[in-house]
Amino acid sequence: MTDHRFASRDQLDAPVVDAIRDLLAPPGGEGYWSELESSIMARIGSSDLGWWGELTNWARPALVAAAVLIITATAAMLHWQQAVAELPYDNVVATGSPLPLPDELTVRPVAQGDREATLRFLFAY
Amino acid sequence: MASPLNDATLAERELVRAAKAGSNDAFAALVRLHQRRAYAVARAIVLSHEDAEDAVQDGFLHAYRALDRFIPDQSFGAWLNRIVSNAALDLVRRRKVREADALPDAVALPFRDPAESGELRDRLSGALTRLTARQRAVIVMHDLEGFTHGEIGATLGIPEGTARSDLHHARAALRRLLQDLRNRP
Repeated sequence: MTDHRFASRDQLDAPVVDAIRDLLAPPGGEGYWSELESSIMARIGSSDLGWWGELTNWARPALVAAAVLIITATAAMLHWQQAVAELPYDNVVATGSPLPLPDELTVRPVAQGDREATLRFLFAY
Repeated sequence: MASPLNDATLAERELVRAAKAGSNDAFAALVRLHQRRAYAVARAIVLSHEDAEDAVQDGFLHAYRALDRFIPDQSFGAWLNRIVSNAALDLVRRRKVREADALPDAVALPFRDPAESGELRDRLSGALTRLTARQRAVIVMHDLEGFTHGEIGATLGIPEGTARSDLHHARAALRRLLQDLRNRP
């Protein structure tokens, strides 16, 4: 059933309609439409590449991700190499105390003198 | 009894079938048939020429990609205009998010020839920016492009009755905005 509350008797004046049409017309006159058609078909042509087109769509984010990965890996590798290079210096310079040795290798200076004297005494005879 | 399909409808269906089968020439013919109305719908919604062109191109590209889902019994033009109007409304929404309330200043309608621009055009340009996108769309679709209320409803995704009342209120709003111009001696 038609709703007659909003009948078309309240149409806009013809000059207003013409002015709207004029205002909202594209620039370039009739030649514009062939340009628009070409643009549309060019966009369709560039997107119409099947799986290769899909691959192209993913190429940019993939390149960005790869670049971030490479930068992160390079930074991590440089950091690791620097840490390895500094390790011997740290051991020598930063640690103020001598390296701990096993007890059996530790030489007691006092005992050493006694032992040498004993050996010299035995070899003398 | 259903009315027989006219030649134009049959020719369009044949183009859609060929385009679905992969013919770019057939799709180009569909573009030629529908780009003017699609542009008018988009331009009414977004106002600026550049945005309208983007919406039309996006709309046709979406339609091309979705051709497999198009049901041949329906009107290709109505289906396409629905896609284009969605693309245009999406542009308006995104612009609103970006620019908040700066729309009237940001989308001034360019006059192609300043020497031609009369007072009606100046006032109309300002008045159109004050209408909502849907109000502009229903006026342009009905009063300029000759859409029926049903076609407007189908394009904008609203009931036919809503399209009819929207048109009534949009015209009234436009008249109010141009009132002093009309009442001048």
